[in-house]
Amino acid sequence: MTTKHINGKKVFLTVLIHLFLMSLVLIILLPMCWLIMNSLKTNQEMFRDSIALPATPLFSNWVNAWNKGLYNYFLSSIITSAMSLCGILVFSSLLAYGLTRLNLPGSGLIFVIVLGGMALSEQVALVPLFKIIQAIGLYNTRWAVVLPYISFRIPFTMFLLRSYFLGIPRELEEAAILDGASRFQIFYKIIIPISKPVLASAAIVNLNFVWNEFLFANIFLENRKLMTIPLGLMTFQGDLKSDYVTMLAGILIASLPMIIMYLCMQKQFVRGLTSGAVKG
Amino acid sequence: MKKKKVKKSLYLYIVPGLFMVMAFVYVPIITNIVYSFFRLSSYSSSMKFVAFDNYRRLFTNDTFPVMMRNNIYYCIISLIVQVGFGTVIALVLESKLVGKLNSFYRNVYFIPSLISLTAVGLMFNFIYNPTAGMLNGFLKTIGQPDLQQIWLGDKKLAIFCIIAMSQWQYTGYIAMLMIVAFQNVSMDYVEAAIIDGAGPIRRAISVYIPLAKEQLLVCSVITVIGAFKLFTEVYTTTSGGPGDASQVLGLFLYQNAFLHDDMGMAAATGVLIFVITVTLSIIQLRITRSGQD
Amino acid sequence: MKKRFTRLLAMGIASLMAVSLAACGSSSGGSAGQTAGADSTAAANAGNSNVKTIKFFHRFPDDPANSFIEEKIAEYEAAHSDIDIVVTSAQNQPFKEKIKTVVGTAEEPDIYYSWAGEFSERFIRENLILDLTPYLEADSEWADSLIESQMVNYTTDDGMVYGIPFRLDGKVFAYNRDIFDELGLEVPTTWDEFLAVLEAIKADGTYTPLAEGNQDQWPGAHYIGTLNQMLVADDVRAADFNPKTGAFTDPGYVEALDKYQQLVPYMNIGVNGMTHDMARQLFTTGQAAMCYIELVEITNLYQETEGTEFNWGMFVFPTVEGAGNPNILTGEPEGFVISANTAYPDECVEFLKWFLGPEVGAQQAEVVGWFNASKGVADNLEDEGLREAYDLIMNAEAMGPWFDASLYSTVCEEYLQQISNVTNGDISSADAMAKIQATALEAQTLAAE
Repeated sequence: MTTKHINGKKVFLTVLIHLFLMSLVLIILLPMCWLIMNSLKTNQEMFRDSIALPATPLFSNWVNAWNKGLYNYFLSSIITSAMSLCGILVFSSLLAYGLTRLNLPGSGLIFVIVLGGMALSEQVALVPLFKIIQAIGLYNTRWAVVLPYISFRIPFTMFLLRSYFLGIPRELEEAAILDGASRFQIFYKIIIPISKPVLASAAIVNLNFVWNEFLFANIFLENRKLMTIPLGLMTFQGDLKSDYVTMLAGILIASLPMIIMYLCMQKQFVRGLTSGAVKG
Repeated sequence: MKKKKVKKSLYLYIVPGLFMVMAFVYVPIITNIVYSFFRLSSYSSSMKFVAFDNYRRLFTNDTFPVMMRNNIYYCIISLIVQVGFGTVIALVLESKLVGKLNSFYRNVYFIPSLISLTAVGLMFNFIYNPTAGMLNGFLKTIGQPDLQQIWLGDKKLAIFCIIAMSQWQYTGYIAMLMIVAFQNVSMDYVEAAIIDGAGPIRRAISVYIPLAKEQLLVCSVITVIGAFKLFTEVYTTTSGGPGDASQVLGLFLYQNAFLHDDMGMAAATGVLIFVITVTLSIIQLRITRSGQD
Repeated sequence: MKKRFTRLLAMGIASLMAVSLAACGSSSGGSAGQTAGADSTAAANAGNSNVKTIKFFHRFPDDPANSFIEEKIAEYEAAHSDIDIVVTSAQNQPFKEKIKTVVGTAEEPDIYYSWAGEFSERFIRENLILDLTPYLEADSEWADSLIESQMVNYTTDDGMVYGIPFRLDGKVFAYNRDIFDELGLEVPTTWDEFLAVLEAIKADGTYTPLAEGNQDQWPGAHYIGTLNQMLVADDVRAADFNPKTGAFTDPGYVEALDKYQQLVPYMNIGVNGMTHDMARQLFTTGQAAMCYIELVEITNLYQETEGTEFNWGMFVFPTVEGAGNPNILTGEPEGFVISANTAYPDECVEFLKWFLGPEVGAQQAEVVGWFNASKGVADNLEDEGLREAYDLIMNAEAMGPWFDASLYSTVCEEYLQQISNVTNGDISSADAMAKIQATALEAQTLAAE
C-alpha cells in the first residue's frame, strides 16, 4: 500500500462523509427555507405554486404577523418565562443547597422523592391539576401556568444544581463560618456566585421548556393577553379562514428568539442539556 | 454515631421546593388515580363512583389498539432514528475527517429542537398539504408525481408523517447529547485502542459507545417517556385523524377530558400513561445498574 | 422536630388534595374561586363601585367580525357608563374545549356563544343557561322583531328560549359561472343531474369538479347532515339526536354515506389531508368548479378573490329522493346565551337586545356580511350575493341543525371519524354505521346517568 493510495482513500471518505452530512443539512434546512420563501408571498401565489419564488417579496407579511398579536404573545411569553425561571431557580437552588450541605435527617428520602418527579409526565397530572387550579381561583391567570411550570421543573433543576454544589470545595464555607457568616450568607454570598455558570445553564434549558410549553398553557389560559407564543400561533389558524402566509411569517418570527439565544449561549446551553437531559 | 442537634429552621431551605413538587406534581397524580374510578365532567357537579368502568371502557374502546400501536411505533422508530442514528451522527461528527465544519453541522442539526412544537406542527401541516405543500410540490418538480401522497390525510401514512416530523426535530438534539458524552471520553482509552490497531469503526464500537453508555441510556429513557407523552405533535397536525388513524394516548386523554366531558376516562388514560412510563423507566434504570455492577 | 415538619407538610398536602377532590364534588368551582374572582373584579373597579362587569366570550376572532364586535361593544359601553364588558374569544375548536371547562365555574362568562341543540342542552340539563322566555314575553316588541323560523333552533322541546342568533347560516354549493358556461353546464336540481354535471367537468379534465378539505372532520359532516335530512324521516332523526334514544338504525343513514361516497371521486385529491379553507382556495383560484360552503363564507370568498374577475353563483343541495324532507336548509343560526349564574341577568338581556337587534344587525350585514335574526337587516343591502343568501335562508322551510353540534360528544366523534374513513374509502358505509350504532348505544347509558 502506498501513501498516495491511503490519501486517496481518505479524501474519498472525507468527501463521502461531507456529502452525507450535507444531505442531512438539506433535510433540516429545506422546510425552513420553504417556510421563509412562502412567508414572503401572497396567499394566492402560495396556493398556485408553493415551491416557486415569490414574484415580489412581501415583507409586509412579517409586519402583519407581528401586529396581529404576536407582539402581545411575545410580551406574555417573556413575563411568564421570567416568573417561572425566578421560581425554578430560587426553589431549586435552596433545595439543592439544603440537600447537599445541611446534613438534615431525611435528605436522602427527600432527594429521591423530588427526583422521582422527573419521571412523571404532565399529562398524568392534567385533569386534577385543572381542577385544583380552578378551585383555588387561578384559572386564566398567569399563576395557572407559572406554578405548574415551576413545580415540574424543580426536579431536573435541583438535580443539575446538586451535582454542581457537590463539587464546590467545603473549605470555602468553612473559612466563612470562621468569619462568623450565617448559613444564608454562605448560600447567598459564596455558593450562588460560584454557581453562576450552572445557574445560567439551568436557566436557559428551562427557558426552552417554558417558552415552548403548550399543554398546560392551552388548558389553563383563555385570555388572549396571557397567551404565550405557542398558543398565539394556534390562533392564527382560523376555522373558515386562515391567512396562511401571515401564519408562516408568525411561525418564523416566533422561532427566532430561542435560535438566536442558542447561537449566543451555546456553551451554557449544551452544558445544561447534558448534565441531566430532559426533553422539553 | 453521635446524634447531632438539627436546627429546624434549616428545613426552610427544603420545604418550599418540596412543597411545590408535592402540591403540583404528586398530589395531582395521586388524585388522578382516585378520579379514574369516578365518572365526572368539567361542568357538572356530579361525581359518581364507577369502580373499574372507566378502565373497561378504555381497554374495550375500538381506538385503544390503534393508539397503543401508534405510541409504540413512535417509541420504536424514535429509538432507532433519534438514539441510534443520532449516535451515528455524533460519532461521525467526532471523527477527525469532518474538520472545521463540525460545529456548523452540529448547530444546524440542533436548531429544530429549539422551535416550539406548535410552530413545527403548523409548518409541517403545510409541508404535507397535498395540493399546496412542499413535499408534493418537490416530488412533482423532480419528475416523480407518482410518489405524491395525501400524507396526513392517509390512514396508513398519517402517524408516520407525524413520527417523521419528530425525527426531523429531535435527532439533532440527541446527537448533541451524544457528542458531549463522546467528548468526555478520555483520550487515553482512544489512544490505547489506536495502538491496538483498532480502526474508526472498531473504536466507536469498543471504546466510545461503552464509555458513553450511561448517556445513551439517559437518551433512551427520555425518548421512551417522550413517546408515551406524545400530544402536541398530533394535536397541531391531524388531531388524531383521518378517522382515528393517528390517535395517541396523550391526545385521547385530552379529548376525553376537555371535549367529551369524560374526565374519569381521561384520568384512567392518565393512569395508563403513568404505569407505562414509570415501568419503562424502571426497567431501563435496572439495565443501567446491572451494567455497572 | 422532624416529625413536626413532616406533619406540617403532610397537612398542607392533604388540604390541597381535599381541595382538588372537593372541587368537583361540591357546587363545582368551589367557593375559593368565587371569592378570588370577586376580589379581582373589585380591585379592577376600585373607586367606581357601580360598574357592572359582564364577561363576554365569543368564537369569532377573525376580522372583520372581531373588530366589528369590539367596536360595537365599545359603543355600548360608551352609552352605558355603568357597564363594563370584558371580551374574550377563541377559534372554533379551542372554543369548544374552553367553554365546557368554564361553564358552571367561577370563571363562567355571563354571555357566551353556544351552538343550538345538544351542545347547549347539556348545559340546560344542569340549569346553567338562563331561560329567556319570560324576557321575551315581557317585551313583545323584541319578540316580534325576531324571525320565528330562526328562533326555533334556540328553543327546547319544552318551549324554553335559551339563545338569540348572532348569525344566520346555510349550506349551499358555490359554483364558478365561467367554468359552467365554458362547459355548457346547467345548475343541477336533482341528484342525477348533479352527478352528470360532476362527470362532465371530470371528463373535460381541466378543472377539479368539487373542492373539499376534511382534515378538521366537520366539512364531511355537513354533507352527511344534508343527506340525512333528505334520506331519514324528521321524527327518526329527532329521536336519534336525543342521546338517550339515539340508535341510528334507519337504513337512510347508510344510504347517506353511500351518496357521499359517490361524490368523493369528484373531489380534489387529499380531501382528508387539508382543511376546508385550504380546499376553498382551489375554488377561489379557479382550479375547482364547485365548493360546498356556508353562506357566512361569502365574506371569505370576496376577500380571497379581491382584485380578480371572479364570477360565481350558488345553488342549494340537489334533491335526493328519500324519506326525509328536501326543503330543509342545512345551517343552523348561531348565537349567544346568558349564564344562569350571572349577577346581572337584566343587564345582559338589555345588551343582547341591542347587540343582536335590527340596528346593529343592519350594520353587521353591511360590514361583516353576516345576518342576525332581526327582521329586515338585509333590506338595504346592495350586494347581490348576500341578498341571494338572505333570501335562501328566509325561504327555507326549516333550518337543519349542524350535525356535529347536535350529537352527543362521543357519538359525534365516532360519526366524524367514520365519515373521514368513508372519505378515504377505508370502510363500507354499512360497517361505518354499525360502529356508530355501537357508540350510540353506549352513549345511551352514559347520558342516562
